[in-house]
Amino acid sequence: MKLSIAWLYPDLMSTYGDRGNVIVLQKRCQWRGIDATIVPITLETQNSELRTCDLIFMGGAQDRQQKLVGVDFLKNKGPVVKEMVEKGIPALFVCAAYQFVGHYYKPYQGEKIEGAGIFDLYTEHPGDQAKRLIGNVVAELSFQLSAISYQRKTIVGFENHGGRTYLGKGLQPLARVIKGFGNNGEDGYEGAVYKNAIGSYFHGPLLPKNPHIADWLIAKALAVKYDKPLVLQALDDSLEWQAHNQML
Amino acid sequence: MQVPTLFIVWACKTLSWISRILRFGTGATWPGEVALRIDPHIFSSFASQFRKGIILVAGTNGKTTTALMIKTILEAQGLKVVYNASGANLENGIVSACIQSANWFGKIDADYGMFEIDENSLSQVLSDMRQETSKNQKLVIVLLNLFRDQLDRYGEVDVIAGKWEKALQATKATIVANADDPLVAHLGLQKKAIFFGINDKTKFLSKMEHATDSIFCLNCGSRLKYEGIYFSHLGIWSCTKCGEKRPKPDISEGKSPLPGLYNLYNTLAAMSVAKSLGLKMDLVGFHPAFGRQEEIGNTKIFLSKNPAGFNQSLRTVLELGAKQLLLVLNDRIPDGRDVSWIWDVDFEIIPKNVSVMVSGDRASDLALRLKYAGIKAKIYENLENALDTKETLYVLPTYSAMLNVRKILTGKKIL
Repeated sequence: MKLSIAWLYPDLMSTYGDRGNVIVLQKRCQWRGIDATIVPITLETQNSELRTCDLIFMGGAQDRQQKLVGVDFLKNKGPVVKEMVEKGIPALFVCAAYQFVGHYYKPYQGEKIEGAGIFDLYTEHPGDQAKRLIGNVVAELSFQLSAISYQRKTIVGFENHGGRTYLGKGLQPLARVIKGFGNNGEDGYEGAVYKNAIGSYFHGPLLPKNPHIADWLIAKALAVKYDKPLVLQALDDSLEWQAHNQML
Repeated sequence: MQVPTLFIVWACKTLSWISRILRFGTGATWPGEVALRIDPHIFSSFASQFRKGIILVAGTNGKTTTALMIKTILEAQGLKVVYNASGANLENGIVSACIQSANWFGKIDADYGMFEIDENSLSQVLSDMRQETSKNQKLVIVLLNLFRDQLDRYGEVDVIAGKWEKALQATKATIVANADDPLVAHLGLQKKAIFFGINDKTKFLSKMEHATDSIFCLNCGSRLKYEGIYFSHLGIWSCTKCGEKRPKPDISEGKSPLPGLYNLYNTLAAMSVAKSLGLKMDLVGFHPAFGRQEEIGNTKIFLSKNPAGFNQSLRTVLELGAKQLLLVLNDRIPDGRDVSWIWDVDFEIIPKNVSVMVSGDRASDLALRLKYAGIKAKIYENLENALDTKETLYVLPTYSAMLNVRKILTGKKIL
């Protein structure tokens, strides 16, 4: 079996160790004998190449880099990513990418910045004086991770964001916050799930300490590509859970 | 010096003296903190007293080593220097150093103030100094580099570059800037800086490192092109669109007293300062700062606190033939609470025959990162046990971890 993993803007949207997610997806495939290739998708890449991919990852960015990405994502790649997500191709959008796939981002001054509208959500920055939401986070998954046999309900990570994200009525949150702030620090939700795509404020390396999420994405990608349900072979994840449990 | 200021100096000197007698601490930051709370602009009354001038060293990596090199050069010429203790590089550390060296009349007897300065404090210190630096004094600002570091605390690299740009606009200081760092060079180009950089194509990396921050032009936003990269985003660069390019270095030849390409940059920076002051470059008598390639018995310590620095430390210790590595990762305030950055370090370059141990608050995160680099690391919950070896051990710790390592090895935290 084979998987192509699209890494969107690896040179522009990779600020907080985002590469960890891609490494984990690739290795966990390889350890199971699945041939996984990472396909860097950047400003100059053609949409035809993006369309050949089976799984999508997009990470965090600084303001300047996000602006550079802006036009290309909204006009070029965003609509293709939207099509792919609608077809059930699994995707992971973290941090800035999570804000970017919503309807818009409203900074504390200046115009609204349009998003790709893949997820029914929007983000607002409450103002210059509002504190950034920074720190370790623990949350409990609020949706069933089918296709794999994990019993784990928790996810752990680190968040660092000024914007507050609010989900539309029909959009399912990824998890309920146990420790930390999550989407906006008010409603107790963290992240969102739409079809087989996940958005989250857990920035950078979300997958290493949450192997159940990594395997869910891989299993979904294989199921969509080969059009049959399958159970992934179990791996020795003792080190993954040791690091996970330390954060609880 | 005015009477109220003198009173603050007295009070803080007395407190600092009592503190040392009672062993509360060395007083590297808090006497300055107290003084600044009473008079936020107290630095200006010290700044005007340095007979020849003030040198400020800013940048993500290499501040302590570069400052120490400059101090060595100045002292070799018989000049008297006041400097801040390593790590005490906020304004409170600088003011503490001034208070400690002032006499009971608030007078400082020194030729130069030589201060390393935190990325985020540069603008504050400059604005507190501006009016008071007299015409006969020289002000030199060294801009070493900007790498991603503790994003939860410092913010993003571009934000810092923006703050520096603003801070430098009004200053008449001589700027010494790294030509090979596009962010820093862009700032230097606006201020007619003295540039340092490396002209050695044999030192180019064959593959770009992942921890790369600035590969897009600060002037126009287009992609930068590199003839070659030395490490991270440092190299011989040019913009593919607007024509902004790496300035020709004024200083590019030097011999570093320490191994590692990053120390060659520090050396070239120190040489540029010497040149701007018309002084001879003399590094005889230079000893590394604590925790920076410091040797204690069979242990060699290489402070490694962000991806660019960690990659450089790794390359250097492997070149030195390291067979046993101990990586220590803490997530306390001085280290940054966020350890995501370990995924930007290229641990994949560690050869199979090198044994790797991990320790610190977040040892399991590090062991997990190494697992995905194909390395089976041994976790030591107890740092003392990890350090207990007869063989040569290369230790790469984060900041607070470095203090712990030193404490175990020497019985003392700092000096």
